[in-house]
Amino acid sequence: MMSERSTTDPTDASTEQPARSTAVTVEGLDYAHGDVSVFADLSVGVDAGSVTCVVGPNGSGKSTLLALVANVLEPDAGTVTVAGAGDRTVGYLAQRPEFRPQFTVRRTVAFYCSLVAGSHDVDAVLDRVGLTPVADRRVGALSGGMVRLLGIAQAVVGDPPVLVLDEPSSGLDPEMTRHVAAVVTDLAASGQTILVSTHDLHLVDRFADRVLVLDRGELRATGSPADLRATAGADTLDGAIAALTRDGNSDGVAVSAGLDGGVSR
Amino acid sequence: MIREHVLAIAQREFETVFRTRLLVLLSVGFVGLVAGVAWLDPPPAYLALSFDLLTPLETLVPVLAFAFGYRSLLGDRERGELARLRTYPVDYRLYVLGVYVGRAVALLGVVLVGLAVAALVVPLTGTESLTAVATFGTADSPTLFLRFVVLTAAFALVALALALLVSAAVRSTWNGLALATGAVLALVVGIDGALVGAITATLPAPDLTASLLAFSPTSAYRGLAFAFVFAPGGVTVPGGPPTVISSLALCGWFLGALVLAGALVRR
Repeated sequence: MMSERSTTDPTDASTEQPARSTAVTVEGLDYAHGDVSVFADLSVGVDAGSVTCVVGPNGSGKSTLLALVANVLEPDAGTVTVAGAGDRTVGYLAQRPEFRPQFTVRRTVAFYCSLVAGSHDVDAVLDRVGLTPVADRRVGALSGGMVRLLGIAQAVVGDPPVLVLDEPSSGLDPEMTRHVAAVVTDLAASGQTILVSTHDLHLVDRFADRVLVLDRGELRATGSPADLRATAGADTLDGAIAALTRDGNSDGVAVSAGLDGGVSR
Repeated sequence: MIREHVLAIAQREFETVFRTRLLVLLSVGFVGLVAGVAWLDPPPAYLALSFDLLTPLETLVPVLAFAFGYRSLLGDRERGELARLRTYPVDYRLYVLGVYVGRAVALLGVVLVGLAVAALVVPLTGTESLTAVATFGTADSPTLFLRFVVLTAAFALVALALALLVSAAVRSTWNGLALATGAVLALVVGIDGALVGAITATLPAPDLTASLLAFSPTSAYRGLAFAFVFAPGGVTVPGGPPTVISSLALCGWFLGALVLAGALVRR
């Protein structure tokens, strides 16, 4: 089976519209790192305008799934379809973003702005993520949190309808974590579809419309944080995730692994 | 949009070169060495100057070109930039082209400044006259030096294309450094040596020997310099590689390296 990637324009009236608008559709996805299979026939959908968090233990395939959705990796088989018009449909923040240390923050963002059609206000992009005060600082002189914000800034360049953020708050101090969370919340409020992986379940509880629970490449459960707690019979999301990803206990509790399993906002 | 993309990428590459301290130091060193060759023992004419510079440039130009190019695409891969760019509407072949153009402009700038500083030695210290080098009956002129500059620029562009190929092929800094060093050595002496070794083992006809040597970029550069600078006007240099083959060889190395780099960067 050949892999395929496509984008669809939701404004195109000639195409049949689904009952619920889906921003990202993954169907029959196969992917392997060398001989190690990561995904086999994975299917999942992400609702447009929602914040969807991907959670799961290390090695469960979270970053790989995000990279496949962002077209950073190519699937061995299956399709990834991203709905959206324009020349940039997905913005992507890698887990450990790096930029050329010799350039200033402003020059770095200006470069990415020059790669998308239309005129883009560099200062507006910087303001959106709170980097204006350090706009003229060299990237090499930024803290880890600031670099992460710069990564989010380049992700929003061109206003892609879908943002894919791989652990945006990992390794940051509490203050910077709150700032990053506020930025992501603002982005969600602007109507962009956000797919984010994180180990920070407080953040998940705070802004996730829907959670995808991955374990060893399999989608074990999907639903809102409240749904997952109820399904797993746990008081906390942490407990719910642990129960849903524990060996032997996941069978029968998966809420849905199908394309229609999304919980609307 | 394609033109804008290439220009934006090229501009960033150009800026990267001159914002990187090591590359600036190497550039200053290159200009100093080329100027030093010219000024420490001032030749009396452009022809003699070109002849004095030919052998040093056969080594210095590849070294500078590889310093400018070997980390260009490798660094982007290590920083996750190549992956990030897949979310932008930029064709990876255009990206390689932009990187090449930006670094090439910087490289040519340094090479031209070095040769310009060296060239000043003739009007400031020399007495333009026929020299012992001009044994093929030509007269000295700045035009001959200009030809030498053009050929050196072409050699630099080929060396940079090979550096980008190395940069696209490797996956780590140490591999890149090792391969770049090997490639420079191959470019300066290795390919010539291998060809000469193969030729002497089989003892082909002298014409074939010259033709085979033209496939080495350095030999091709040297052969073209002899044909167009030291012995212009249709004078044949005995044992020199054919001009057409030398030109085709340089074009082949240039295009082949860039096309292959474009293909490898996608992996």
